[in-house]
Amino acid sequence: MKSQKNVFWQALIITIIIFGIGIYFGIYIEDIRTNKINQLYQNSEIDILDVRLQSEIYSSGEFNCELAISENIKFADRVYEEAKKLNKFEKASRLTESIKLQHKKYDLLRFIILLNSIKIKEKCINSYYEVVYLYDYHETSLEIKAKQEVFSELLKQLKNKKKNEILLIPISGDEEIGALKLFLERYKITEEELPIILINRRIKTNKVQNIEDLLKYFK
Amino acid sequence: MEILPYVFLSYMFISLYMLSFFLILYFKNKSKFFEYPIPKKNYTVSFIVPAYNEEKTIKETIEHIFAIEYKNIIEIIVINDCSKDNTKIIVENLIKKYPRLKLINNKNNLGKAGSLNRAWKIANGELVTVVDADSFPKQDSLKKMVGYFDNEKVGAVTCPVLARNKTKFWEKLQSIEYIAISFGRKLLEYVDAIYVTPGPLAVYRKKALEDIGGFDENNLTEDIEATWNLAYHGWDRKMSLNTGVTSEVPNKIKPWFVQRRRWNLGGLQCIQKYRKSIGKKGMLGAFIIPFFIINMFLGLVGLSIFFYLTIKKIYSKFLLTKYSIIADTPLLTLEEFFITPSILNYLGIIIFLLGLLYILLIMVVLKEKILKRENILNIPFYLIFYLILYPFIMLNAIWHFARNKKIWR
Repeated sequence: MKSQKNVFWQALIITIIIFGIGIYFGIYIEDIRTNKINQLYQNSEIDILDVRLQSEIYSSGEFNCELAISENIKFADRVYEEAKKLNKFEKASRLTESIKLQHKKYDLLRFIILLNSIKIKEKCINSYYEVVYLYDYHETSLEIKAKQEVFSELLKQLKNKKKNEILLIPISGDEEIGALKLFLERYKITEEELPIILINRRIKTNKVQNIEDLLKYFK
Repeated sequence: MEILPYVFLSYMFISLYMLSFFLILYFKNKSKFFEYPIPKKNYTVSFIVPAYNEEKTIKETIEHIFAIEYKNIIEIIVINDCSKDNTKIIVENLIKKYPRLKLINNKNNLGKAGSLNRAWKIANGELVTVVDADSFPKQDSLKKMVGYFDNEKVGAVTCPVLARNKTKFWEKLQSIEYIAISFGRKLLEYVDAIYVTPGPLAVYRKKALEDIGGFDENNLTEDIEATWNLAYHGWDRKMSLNTGVTSEVPNKIKPWFVQRRRWNLGGLQCIQKYRKSIGKKGMLGAFIIPFFIINMFLGLVGLSIFFYLTIKKIYSKFLLTKYSIIADTPLLTLEEFFITPSILNYLGIIIFLLGLLYILLIMVVLKEKILKRENILNIPFYLIFYLILYPFIMLNAIWHFARNKKIWR
């Protein structure tokens, strides 16, 4: 009987084809997910323009505080929900890096909301709580990751309790964003301190505590 | 960049390659899968049965050998390797009934390989058939195996080894494993890569045994070593799928583990002995040795990753629990159960399903009743949990090998 050693090559070719299709399929799925996020972001782009215009109005003179706050919080909440979806897709992304770019775009978006809030707060004092949650996006330490997971859960509970009294803005504190660096420097926050919660740009806390203790900052 | 997804992808690629390799071989040879050559010559055959404390099964083994439908069995030699039980008495009583039965009593315990060497040298047959003392060859085994020796290059012929005891769960899993191994071994025949002619039933050409110098008495798996030695000396190994031999499989985890560790240790000894043949000596150096080494490497890397991920997960859960207690907040939410699948999940499921289909194909081809409830439940268990135990045994074997420990029991 003739030996059939050519099967080694045939199997390799078949495997490359099947595997190639699998990888292509994987990239395709990840692209679809990125596009979904992109689409959400594109929808938000109009809102960004709106936010920027609002920002101009806030800088130029008198405005309706109640309306401005409500618009900003509404927008921040929507972005927060979209970012949750982005987070899910990001965790499942294995082959492509494109979704990471979306993350950066969302960080920028949230930063714009923060800047808006700063301007609103200049005119509408004590109107709402501005809670900036700066976390470590690139961190690999399990300790920090666990801490961040608890912080996220606490802030979610906080938002559910306080609803529109709070403007919640989670931002990756270690992204390569110039404006963010300036912000961190201004409020004397180092990357080593992350994750950190900054309340009304005055109170800083990076201690894990229960919701009751956290609520004390909002009295 | 994360490395682990690429490591997982590499494992998936190798699994898919092996699966494609076996499937192509099967579909190419489907029509002649169970064929065996009808012998043109009436070879004289000697049986040798090494025995150490085999009082429970030796009688039945001998009776099964005498029931084999082959006219030219000239002798059955039992080598009693200083048994402490009634093996000797049982064989002596059987000699009265079967005049062709011979008994050799070793003065000192020589081990299995030593006993085999003593016996094959005095065997008078052109072919020497080794049967383990707890194995029962089928009646048609010899007539379906000896025809291969018409090809003068053939040095040894093997057949499927099947589990005889299949009532307990652990035995059933081994039964699936034995069937899968037999199927795979037949497929490897088509690429000249049979790497073992197992002890329960193997027929050797006496001339081939002389050529390789018999069985290696220092190796814990003399059957694997003899097969590699045959390949080293250019002898072909064949497999007759149309018959078989049944053997007693361990019914508890501990003896099973010890048996598998011995197999692994023997494999390691073979790798050490033949390592210089890599890339040489036909399929021994081109496939068999690299296959064993890669298999071991993948098992160990896989096990390391498994430990790494498990420890990481446990530590991570510990930290989460610690912080959630401090924060007095539950972290297990309904959302946690809705995972977004990644490409690795999809590919993993596809490869698992292909593996499942491969085992089902084997069952169908070898006429096992797959629709039995126990088989339907056991096959996924075999694929998910049983096979995962392999690297643990390998790790243990490497540990003993590194400490130069040879463990039989």
